[in-house]
Amino acid sequence: MALVELPDWAALAPVLALAATALVIFVVDGIDPRRTDRQLLAGLAAGGSLFALALAVWFSLAGVGDPGFELFGGQLVVDEMALFFVVVVAVVTALISIASYDYMTEHAYQAEYYSLVLLAATGMATMATANSLVTIFIALELASLPSYALVAILKENRGSVEAGLKYFLIGALSSAIFVYGVSLIYGATGHLQLGAIADVIAGEAEAGAGHAIAEFDGMLGLGVLMVIGGLAFKTASVPFHFWAPDAYEGAPAPISAFLSSASKAAGFVIAFRIFTEAFPIDAMVGIGVDWTVAFVVLAIVTMTVGNFAAATQENVKRMLAYSSVGHAGYALIGLAGLSGANGEFVLAAAMMHLLVYGFMNTGAFLFVALAEHWGVGRTFADYNGLASRAPMASVAMTVFLFSLAGIPPFGGFFSKYFLFVGAIGVGSTAMLVVAAALVVNSALSLYYYSRLVKALWIEEPTIERATLTKPTGIYAAIVVAAVMTVVILPGFGPVADAATAAAAALVA
Amino acid sequence: MESAFEFAPAIALFPLAAFVIALLFGRQLPKRGALVGIVATGASLVFSLWAALAVATVGSHREPLFEWAVGEPTSETGVEGIEFTFGILLDPLSTLMLVIVSLIALLVHVFSLGYMNAEGETGLPRYYAELGLFTFSMLAFVFADNLLMAFIFFELVGLCSYLLIGFWFRTESAPSAAKKAFLVTRFGDYFFLLGVVAIAATFGTLGFAGEGSFVEAAGEAIDAGESLFGVDPELWVTITGLLVLGGVIGKSAQFPLHTWLPDAMEGPTTVSALIHAATMVAAGVYLVARMFGYYALSPTALAVIAFVGAFTALFAATMGVVKDDIKQVLAYSTISQYGYMMLGLGVGGYVAGVFHLMNHAFFKALLFLGAGSVIVLAHHKQDMWEMGGLKSKAPVTYYTFLAGALALAGIIPFSGFWSKDEILYDALIVGIEQPVFLLAYAMALLAVFFTGFYTFRMVFLTFHGEPRSDAVRDPHPVGLSIKLPLVVLGVLAVVAGVANLAPVAKLTGLEITFLEGWLEGGIGEASYLAYSGAVFEGAEAVYATGVIGTESTTVLVAAGVSLLLAFSGAGAAWRLYGVPEPVRHTESLGGAYRLLRANYYQDEYQVWLASGFTLPLARAADRFDQGVIDGVVNGVSSVSLFGSGRLKRLQTGIVTNYAALLVLGFLALLVALGVHGGWFL
Repeated sequence: MALVELPDWAALAPVLALAATALVIFVVDGIDPRRTDRQLLAGLAAGGSLFALALAVWFSLAGVGDPGFELFGGQLVVDEMALFFVVVVAVVTALISIASYDYMTEHAYQAEYYSLVLLAATGMATMATANSLVTIFIALELASLPSYALVAILKENRGSVEAGLKYFLIGALSSAIFVYGVSLIYGATGHLQLGAIADVIAGEAEAGAGHAIAEFDGMLGLGVLMVIGGLAFKTASVPFHFWAPDAYEGAPAPISAFLSSASKAAGFVIAFRIFTEAFPIDAMVGIGVDWTVAFVVLAIVTMTVGNFAAATQENVKRMLAYSSVGHAGYALIGLAGLSGANGEFVLAAAMMHLLVYGFMNTGAFLFVALAEHWGVGRTFADYNGLASRAPMASVAMTVFLFSLAGIPPFGGFFSKYFLFVGAIGVGSTAMLVVAAALVVNSALSLYYYSRLVKALWIEEPTIERATLTKPTGIYAAIVVAAVMTVVILPGFGPVADAATAAAAALVA
Repeated sequence: MESAFEFAPAIALFPLAAFVIALLFGRQLPKRGALVGIVATGASLVFSLWAALAVATVGSHREPLFEWAVGEPTSETGVEGIEFTFGILLDPLSTLMLVIVSLIALLVHVFSLGYMNAEGETGLPRYYAELGLFTFSMLAFVFADNLLMAFIFFELVGLCSYLLIGFWFRTESAPSAAKKAFLVTRFGDYFFLLGVVAIAATFGTLGFAGEGSFVEAAGEAIDAGESLFGVDPELWVTITGLLVLGGVIGKSAQFPLHTWLPDAMEGPTTVSALIHAATMVAAGVYLVARMFGYYALSPTALAVIAFVGAFTALFAATMGVVKDDIKQVLAYSTISQYGYMMLGLGVGGYVAGVFHLMNHAFFKALLFLGAGSVIVLAHHKQDMWEMGGLKSKAPVTYYTFLAGALALAGIIPFSGFWSKDEILYDALIVGIEQPVFLLAYAMALLAVFFTGFYTFRMVFLTFHGEPRSDAVRDPHPVGLSIKLPLVVLGVLAVVAGVANLAPVAKLTGLEITFLEGWLEGGIGEASYLAYSGAVFEGAEAVYATGVIGTESTTVLVAAGVSLLLAFSGAGAAWRLYGVPEPVRHTESLGGAYRLLRANYYQDEYQVWLASGFTLPLARAADRFDQGVIDGVVNGVSSVSLFGSGRLKRLQTGIVTNYAALLVLGFLALLVALGVHGGWFL
C-alpha cells in the first residue's frame, strides 16, 4: 500500500520528464539568449534524460507496467513494453547529450539543439506508449520534425543541409503514405484505437458503417501495407531506407547515433504494438491479410541490402549507416516470426536486440563523432593506426564492432543468437529462410566490421598524427556504452526476463 | 599393513619427483640426475615390495583417489551416470608388475651410470628426466584401477618412448625411428580409444575389478542375454575387446604393428632394455592380463589373441635369424617372446602368460644390458661380425649374458624354460580338444627352434671364436655400475623359474606353483582377495582341454618336444657358428635369405600404404578442400563484393530517384501481398 496514491497519469512521468526538460532548456535560453552556458545546457539535457531513465527503470522494477495503465480512454498505455523502450530511448538520449557537449563546441544553436533532441526523445517515448493510430501518428511526427531540424543543424555544412532536406522530403512522403493507410483502416473498421480495431477484425464488434469486415479485405490490406510503409521509413527498412545513408552521413555524428538507435527502436515499438494489438495475426489470416509475409520479405531484403551495401563502403559513417539498415532487418524478424507458436520468444529476442543495439550502435557512431572531433578524416584509411594514439577508445570501438557482428562474448552475440534460435523455432519454411539469411548476412557483416578493426589496430597510419585530445564527454559516453555492451551479458537474465514478459503480455 | 596402501601412490610419485628435479636442476646435480633417479626408483621398489606384502596379508585393495569428471548419461546396460577417476588397484598382478618395473628401472638407472655418464654423453639431465617420467607413467599405468586411466598412462609411456628413442636427435635415424614408433603405436591406440569409449558407453563404468567393474557388468549382460547396441552381448564384448586389442598389438609390437620396435633400437641401449624389452612393451600384454576376465567372456577374442601371438612368435623369430646387429637380434627376439605371452593368454593360460612376462622382463633386460656392456667393450660397435672372442676378456658379461641366452632359448632349468613350457603345454591341451589350436601350437613350437638358433648364433658370434676387429682385441673396460645390474639379473634369470615349477608340481604332486597361488589369492593355507575371479585356473577355465594319455605323459611330451627343438636350434647354431672363424652361411638359405633380410617386406608394404594409398587420398581430400570448399567460399565472397558494388549504385544521391524507388518498392510489395491474400478478386 503506497503512502500516497498517485494519479494514473503519473505513469507517464518518464515521458513528461523528457518534455519538461526540453521546456526548461527553452526557458533557460530564453532568460538570456545571448549568453550560452554550454555546460548547463548539456547538463540539463543529460540530467533530464537520466532522470527519465531512472523513472522508467523504477517503474519497470516496481511493476507499474504489469498489467499496465490505460490512459485517456485507451489512447496511451503504459505497459512493460512501453517502459522497456522508454529505457532504450532515455539511455541513448543521455549518451548523446553527454557526447554532444564536446562535439557541438563552436556551433551555434546550442539550446535549440538540446531542446530539439529532448523533444524528439519525448516523441519517441510517446511512440512507445501510444495506443491509437492517432496518437501514434502525432507521436511519430513529434519525433520526426525535430529530427529533420537536427540533421540539418550544421547550417554551414552543405552535406548536413542536403541530408536534412532529403530526410524531410522522404519523411513527408512516408508520413503521407502512413496517414493514408490510417484513413483506409479507419474506413474499413470505423475505429482508431488499437484494441477496438482488433475487436472488429475478430468479429466481436460491428464495423463502423455496419458492414462485414471481410468485404473490405482489400481496403484493409492496403491500409495495413501503407502503415507498414510508414513504419519502414521510421525504422529505415528497405525500400523506405533511402534517406538513411545520406542523412546519417550528413548529420552530426551524435544525431546519427540518436536516429539510428533511438528513433529506430521507437519505430519498432509502434510496429510491435500495432501488429500485436490491432491486427492479431490469427484473425488477419482469416480475412486474407497475412502481414507476416510482408515482414518476412522486408526482413530478408532489408538485411541483405543493408549488409551488402555496407560491405564495400569506404566511408566509415556510411558503412555504419548501411549496417544500421541491416540491423533493422534483424529486428524485423521479431514481426516476421509472430505467426508461429514461438512468436513471443522471437518478439522478445527482437526487443533484446534493439536494447543491445542501442548501446553498441550508439557507441560506434560516437567513436565516429570522436574521429570527427579529432578531424582525422572519414574513410577507413584515415582511421589507420588510431589504436596507437587512442587505445582505450579503440578497444571500445572494437567491442562495438565485434558486438555488432555478433561475436561472443558481447551482447550482440546473444541477442542475435536468440533471434536465430527463435526464428528456427517457429518452424515454417519462410522463417528457416529468414534464419539462413540472418546467418549469411552476419557472416558478411563480420567482413566489413573487421576491416575497420584491422584499420584501427593493424594498418600503419598513412600520415603522422599529433597527439589526439581526449574530450571528456565523448570518452565518457563511449566508455559507458562499451561497458554496457560487455556487462549486458551477465545482466542478460533480467533483460531477457523483462523483454520476454513484455512480449508475452503483448502476444497473449 | 594397510598403511602400505596409503603410501601406494608414492610408488609412482617418487619417479615423478625425480623427473621434475632432473629437469630443473639436472645440470647442477652430481651425475646429472642419475643419483636422484636411483634413489627414486629404489624407493619405488621398496614401497612396491611393501605393497605386495600388504596384499599377501590383507588382500587386494582398490581405492579411487581423484574424480575429475562426472557424466550424466545412462549407459546401454542402464547404469545411470559415469565417473571418470584416477584410482589405484593393488592386487597380486599389479603388485607383481610394480616390483618388476621398479626393480628393472632401478637396475637400468644404475647401469646408465656406466653406459651414459662414463661415456661422456651430453644431454644427461634430459635423459634422466625422461627416464623418470617414463617410470612414473609406467608405474601409474600398472596400478591404474580403470581403463581410462590406463589409457592415459599408456599414451604417456608412448610419449616417453618417443622422446627416448629420439634421444640422439642430431642423428638422422633416431628422430625418424622415434616418429615411426610414435605413429605406428598411435595407429593401434586409435582403436584402443574407440574401445574405451565403447566400453564406457556400454557399461557406464571403466573399473577393472571388483564391484561395479565393466568385467562383471559384461558377465551379467551376457547372462541376461539382452542385446547391446543391437547385437548379441557376447559379440559386442568381442568387438570391444578386439578394439582394445588394437592398442595392445601396437604397444606389444605384435604382427602387423611390430615394425616400429626394431627401429626403436636407435635409442640408447639402456632405454631399449627398460622400455623396449622389459616394461613398456609389456604394457600391452599386461593390459590383456588386467582385462583377462573380460576377454575370458569371449572365446573368439581369445582365439584371435592366441593366433596373433603364435604367428608373431614364429614370424619374428625367423627374422631374428639373419640379423647382424646384436640389438636387432634382441629386438626381433622381444617381438617373438611377446608373441608367446599373447599365445599363453589366448589359450587361457593366464598364469603361464604372466609367468613368462615376469621371466622375460628379467632375462631380456639382462640380455639388453649385456648387449650394452658388449657395445661398450667393442667401442660402440654393434655388428656381431666385428666381434668375437669376448668370452675371456669380459667374463662377467659373458656368463651373465649366457644365463640370459639359456633362459631365452628355453633350456632347462633356466627361467625361460619353465614359463615357455607352461605356455606350450596350455596350448597343447587346448589343441587336443580343439584341433585348430594345434596350428598355433605348431607355430610356437617351431619358433622354439629358431629361438635356440638365433640366440646361440648371437652368443657364438659375439663371445666365441677369434676377435674379428681391432675394437674387440682391445676392449674398453666396463665398471662396477655395469657389472652389478648384470649379476643381479643373471641370478634372477637362472632362478626365477622356481616361482612356478608347474611341470614338477604336476609330476610329483608337490605344492610348488607359488606364482599361481599368488595370483589365485592364497599360497598354502593363507588366502586373500585377489580380484582374479575364475581366470587363474589355467587353460581349463575357458576352454575344454584334453590330455595325451595321462596328465603326466602330456607334461613330459610337451616338455620333451620343446626341449628337443631348443637343443637342436642351439646345436645348429653351434655347428655353424661355434667355430674359430665363422662365416655367414647365408647362401644356403637361397631366396629365403633376401626375404628374411627384408623383414618379409613389412616396412615396404606399410610405406606403400602410407605413400601409395593414404597420401593420394589425403591429396584428393586436400584438392577437394582447396578447390570445392575454398572455391565456394571465395566465390561467395567475390559474388558478395560484386553484389555490394551493384547495390551501392541504387543510392544515386538524387532524392526524386529515392521517391520513385520507394513507391515502386511499395507497389511491388502491394502486388505480392495482394496476390497472396486474394484482395483483388
